[in-house]
Amino acid sequence: MKIVVLVKEVPDMESKFKIIGDAKIDESQIAFKMNDFDEYAVEAALQLKEKFGGEVVILSSGPERVTKEVRQAFAMGADWGIHVSDPQIDEGDNYVVAGALVKAIESVGGVDLVLTGVQAEDDQAGLTGVFAADMLNFAHCTNVVKIEVGGDQKALTINRELEGGLNEVLEMAMPAVLTIQSGINQPRYPTLPGIMKAKKKRLDLKKAADLGISALGEAGSKTKFHKMYFPVSEHKAEIIQGDAKAAAKTLVDKLRNEAKVI
Amino acid sequence: MARILVIAEQRNGKLSEATLELCKAAKEIASGLGATPAAAVFFKDDSLAKEVANYIPEVFAVVDGKLGAYDADYYAQAVKAVVEGQDVKGVLIPHSYDGVDYAGKAALAIGAGIVSNCNKATVEGGAVVFTRNTYNGKIQEQKSVKTDKFVATFEKGAYDKEAAGGAGSVTAVAVSLGDSRRKIKEVIATMAGSVDISQAKVIVSGGRGTKEKDKYNDVIVNLAKKLGGEYAASRPVVDAGWTDAARQVGQSGKTVAPVLYVAAGISGAIQHVAGMKGSQCIVAINKDPEAPIFNIATYGIVGDLFEVIPAMMEALG
Ligand SMILES: Cc1cc2nc3c(=O)[nH]c(=O)nc-3n(C[C@H](O)[C@H](O)[C@H](O)COP(=O)(O)OP(=O)(O)OC[C@H]3O[C@@H](n4cnc5c(N)ncnc54)[C@H](O)[C@@H]3O)c2cc1C
Repeated sequence: MKIVVLVKEVPDMESKFKIIGDAKIDESQIAFKMNDFDEYAVEAALQLKEKFGGEVVILSSGPERVTKEVRQAFAMGADWGIHVSDPQIDEGDNYVVAGALVKAIESVGGVDLVLTGVQAEDDQAGLTGVFAADMLNFAHCTNVVKIEVGGDQKALTINRELEGGLNEVLEMAMPAVLTIQSGINQPRYPTLPGIMKAKKKRLDLKKAADLGISALGEAGSKTKFHKMYFPVSEHKAEIIQGDAKAAAKTLVDKLRNEAKVI
Repeated sequence: MARILVIAEQRNGKLSEATLELCKAAKEIASGLGATPAAAVFFKDDSLAKEVANYIPEVFAVVDGKLGAYDADYYAQAVKAVVEGQDVKGVLIPHSYDGVDYAGKAALAIGAGIVSNCNKATVEGGAVVFTRNTYNGKIQEQKSVKTDKFVATFEKGAYDKEAAGGAGSVTAVAVSLGDSRRKIKEVIATMAGSVDISQAKVIVSGGRGTKEKDKYNDVIVNLAKKLGGEYAASRPVVDAGWTDAARQVGQSGKTVAPVLYVAAGISGAIQHVAGMKGSQCIVAINKDPEAPIFNIATYGIVGDLFEVIPAMMEALG
């Protein structure tokens, strides 16, 4: 089974965010990591490979630093990868990025499954997997919490998470794109030998021109970014000052005598 | 006149609340653009289309035996057919489990740009500008589409529910649906556990910031006991197996509205907040002063929960 996993690098959300010119975040202040949901996708792919054989290919688009997350997936056990690196792709919207990833998937050839997270923690759009499926003309399913592969390795039985603790159990044919929801598995930690091996694994670098990508940058995008800003809340909490001890004491007092809830 | 079209959503023949919220959104956006609000209802008969006509002046009913339950391929085909036949400018879809599953596909099918997971739309100079949450709720951004038509998905609660009372028209639209590559076998309930936290008056809820199972038990469970309430968790805590799925609060867990909800080491992601924002008094304990949970809390303490909670225990006596 040939599986491609789409992995995105995102800021650690506990980083100190600073916005430059209403247009972008100051990346010098940010620690980056693998998108949580994608980590579950990598693990899901590795488990399928362990059962059915084949290979797991990691695909990521972004600047040089995203190779760190690709190597992390290698250290978990993935076989090789493609780093799509072109500022003109990074400047595009979800449509441009999905188009570029699709070209890279097609360059791999004979892919049975494409897995990725349900959404990226930074953009929170949940579009890449669905776009990729449509562009590849693959079937797809989002919010996947269970994957079973049929005996002939051509059919899937999938649990799709629904609201209120429900799951829709459905059958579909491969090739397919699945967007993976957190909790489907417990992602493994890279081992020391894994980390050593990861350094030597094949990582192909592809530019837009190598992949024949035509929709690029802002011009190729279907959406236009206006601005970004910190949300202003009308219901901001009353922040209780003081060290932990003093603040806790004031809080308990307020809960008893002001809010009267305990 | 061009139309702003809501795609209705149903499960087991019951309309979702998000559908009624989008009826309100469609009216607002349409009035700003000089367009007319409408809805499309895909179902096995026209009963739901008639129901939606109580909320919006014009309803297109696509009736087909294949549309009894939601399906991605059928929905994308049906959206394309209605949009192309009925002079539709904008398509509004709930950012729900089903909506996320097909909205991107529908946008590609009609050649439209899509802005997903929006919480607001305003009309500025004849264009719709969408506001959306990014970076786990820490930053908002505004986007628009460059295409002639647009698709937008909206967070639950972005708009109030439209009230019933209108008497809209229902027009049947014939669509010849092709194939679907998915087949639903069944829908099952998965939330294990017998505890019902939704009845508790006090809930102490721990997030990823509680670090590990033993520490979660140590601080969260103990404080809950001290306050005579229930303990609960955000999704990562359940994913990691530190507590039962039945104690998860949020979009994919329980909806709770206790008198007191203490959120410790929880950032306040929209999917979590969806399950607890109706609480009477919310206390947030988080070491990150910019955590979005402070935007909805009553009281906040910026600090290390492993220092604050023991100090609370002591103060409670
Ligand atoms: C379709 C879908 C459905 C979802 N459903 C749900 C749902 O039902 N419920 C849910 O909760 N989530 C749900 N999520 C996940 C949601 O998007 C967030 O990922 C999740 O809520 C984050 O949980 P958290 O706040 O515990 O973790 P994080 O966002 O990682 O936040 C941890 C917080 O702890 C703080 N912290 C760390 N250490 C300390 C310390 N020592 N003292 C004090 N504070 C500390 C940090 O500053 C941070 O703010 C869903 C996501 C999707 C896509």
